[in-house]
Amino acid sequence: MDEQPGLSDEYRKASPWPLFVAFGLAIFEVGIVWPLFPVAVGGLLLFVGSVVGILRESGYIANPWKGLVAASVVCLAAGGLIALTTTGSVHLRGVAILAGGVFGSIWQPESV
Amino acid sequence: MAEVGQIALTVVMGGILFAVATFLTRIEDWRSYRPLASGGGYVGERTGRTHHEEKPAGIVRWLTTVDHKDIGMLYGVYGLVAFAFGGVAVLLMRAELAVPEEAFIGANFYNSLLTTHGITMLFLFGTPIIAAFGNYFVPLLIGADDMAFPRINAIAFWLLPPAAILIWAGFPLATLTGGEVEPAQTAWTMYTPLSAEQANPGVDLMLLGLHLSGVSATMGAINFIATIFTERGEEVDWANLDIFSWTMLTQSGLILFAFPLLGSVLVMLLLDRNFGTTFFTVEGGGAVLYQHLFWFFGHPEVYILVLPPMGLVSLILPRFSGRKLFGFKFVVYSTLAIGVLSFGVWAHHMFSVGMDPRIRASFMAVSLAIAIPSAVKVFNWITTMWNGRLRLTAPMLFCIGFVQNFIIGGVTGVFLASIPVDLVLHDTYYVVGHFHFIVMGAIAVAGFAGIYYWFPLYTGRMYQKTLAKIHFWLTMIGSNVTFIAMLVLGYGGMPRRYATYLPQFAALHVVATVGAFVMAFGQLVFVYNLVVSWLEGPRVESGDPWNLEEDGMLTHEWTWFERKRETDLALTDGGERVEDPRTSKDE
Ligand code: HEM
Ligand SMILES: [Cu+2]
Repeated sequence: MDEQPGLSDEYRKASPWPLFVAFGLAIFEVGIVWPLFPVAVGGLLLFVGSVVGILRESGYIANPWKGLVAASVVCLAAGGLIALTTTGSVHLRGVAILAGGVFGSIWQPESV
Repeated sequence: MAEVGQIALTVVMGGILFAVATFLTRIEDWRSYRPLASGGGYVGERTGRTHHEEKPAGIVRWLTTVDHKDIGMLYGVYGLVAFAFGGVAVLLMRAELAVPEEAFIGANFYNSLLTTHGITMLFLFGTPIIAAFGNYFVPLLIGADDMAFPRINAIAFWLLPPAAILIWAGFPLATLTGGEVEPAQTAWTMYTPLSAEQANPGVDLMLLGLHLSGVSATMGAINFIATIFTERGEEVDWANLDIFSWTMLTQSGLILFAFPLLGSVLVMLLLDRNFGTTFFTVEGGGAVLYQHLFWFFGHPEVYILVLPPMGLVSLILPRFSGRKLFGFKFVVYSTLAIGVLSFGVWAHHMFSVGMDPRIRASFMAVSLAIAIPSAVKVFNWITTMWNGRLRLTAPMLFCIGFVQNFIIGGVTGVFLASIPVDLVLHDTYYVVGHFHFIVMGAIAVAGFAGIYYWFPLYTGRMYQKTLAKIHFWLTMIGSNVTFIAMLVLGYGGMPRRYATYLPQFAALHVVATVGAFVMAFGQLVFVYNLVVSWLEGPRVESGDPWNLEEDGMLTHEWTWFERKRETDLALTDGGERVEDPRTSKDE
């Protein structure tokens, strides 16, 4: 498999993001279901960061900052809602999403 | 203790994120030094210059690829690894079943293996191996540049390794945590109340993994639908769309309606288990609700698994019969009919739960009706071979094997669809025999046909023909010995899903175990052949290794292969430039 005649050259045939979109989602899910706070926050950051990265790479958004801020706001809202309206372990999970939003708003991977 | 754990986890997660960020920066750097690939255009592509600049080398290439053929290969390797894992699991189970009492692995471990075998084979082998063929060949067959959404394609694949890790994690974690986390023992149907009440966190992991695999399948399906609708080459219209793409399209439609439902059921189950909801508890919706939801997904799932292999057989079998597929249109119509009907039969898995008899009878009627389009296909395959010039190559043998096993599997299915028969045979080995004839005997066998048929195309080499035939015979003999023994066991009343049984069933269980090991030996031959031929098989001499052109049956992927070979030659010898691709109209 070393040559592809006739294939499109409109996009680059490599992208680093899909792997991390997938892994981020998986890590986040595990963190939420097995309440593991750091795992949930880290997975959320990885997932959302990679989604923004892939959107920027494919030209759906021009400015990664806007994407990241929008994603953080969504996380803050969703996490806040869950954290406010529930108690116990569900509350913890809401806080995890909230924390993901907070981190996301202040931390920005250089590469994006 | 808990706090130390949390801090350690935080550090680990921080480390992972940091590593990812560093890796990404390096990739981005590497990118910015490259000229953009767009300048070269087709000339550059054909002389193979641009592409070396487009793809990074080594392992990074495989981790970052969005090329449909690379992703197809990744799916294929993934599927075969899962096939091996599920195969080892079942060999351990069959070894235990060689004697009536608990002797070897014990009942609990047996239950775990049973669960993992079913889930692995259906979701980690079956669906991905079909996606492997689909990714590699649908764009080539319909003359598309790539899949419609290459990046989504890559995301869909990369969801699968975490899915497998989560589904299999129970086994290593049981050892690591000293039994605190165990592999799930729910069987692949995960019926409540059992699956809702087992406290074991391993069940959560498995449900999550399954959920991810469902997300992956759905993304893949959307991609196939978009590709087949919008990316067809100029000369491909609906009338001459090939049969494999038709089945992939129908299958993707089924996935689109079935898998999101599975996802919802899994989330409901997870909520019941962890968040105190009552979807499937007695006070809530109850266990029968679960069964309805599960089988509304579950029955279409079996057709999701069987339609593309039917497409493979419909594509390959005529090419070694020297004749066009008999009644092409009707094969397409029957595919669509099966697709529609498969959503109306789910309750045939629940005949014995005590539904309203009138509802039950209507499900029986639709289930019997679905046998008709299936039979149409069988007759078309047989008629295609009738008076044909048969060439019994390995792919053809596997196609014929498919038809044989599918007939047995289908006929036993029709019996099961009849309520009075099912009430006797439900939850016996007869059901196990029925679906193994189809899942292993037909689906996996069609997969082998595809692997051998296109082996020259994706490796540039030929496999060892004798070994392939040995593989065929061992698979066929093994599967028939095992699964016929299961059907007979079912008539005798042997219940399914037990590690132990009454001594009267011992002889037939030994037969089934022997058959399973014969089959397993055949798969060793297969893997050996695959690896050795890939590395040092004889190079194919033409772009048409099966001489399809004589019969006017060359399809697009082979003309693509011919062009690829010529570019390779041009690269190495400075030979001639490639002509325009020949187009072939065929089915
Ligand atoms: C000719 C059409 C078919 C009919 C009428 C049919 C009918 C049935 C019936 C009635 C059952 C329930 C048996 C019971 O649990 O008591 C069943 C089970 C099953 N069938 Fe089929 N079937 C057909 C084709 C297929 C195909 C094509 C596949 C696979 C691709 C398949 C896979 C299965 C599986 C996996 C089960 C067992 C599910 C379980 O309980 O674990 N069947 N079939
Ligand atoms: Cu069914």
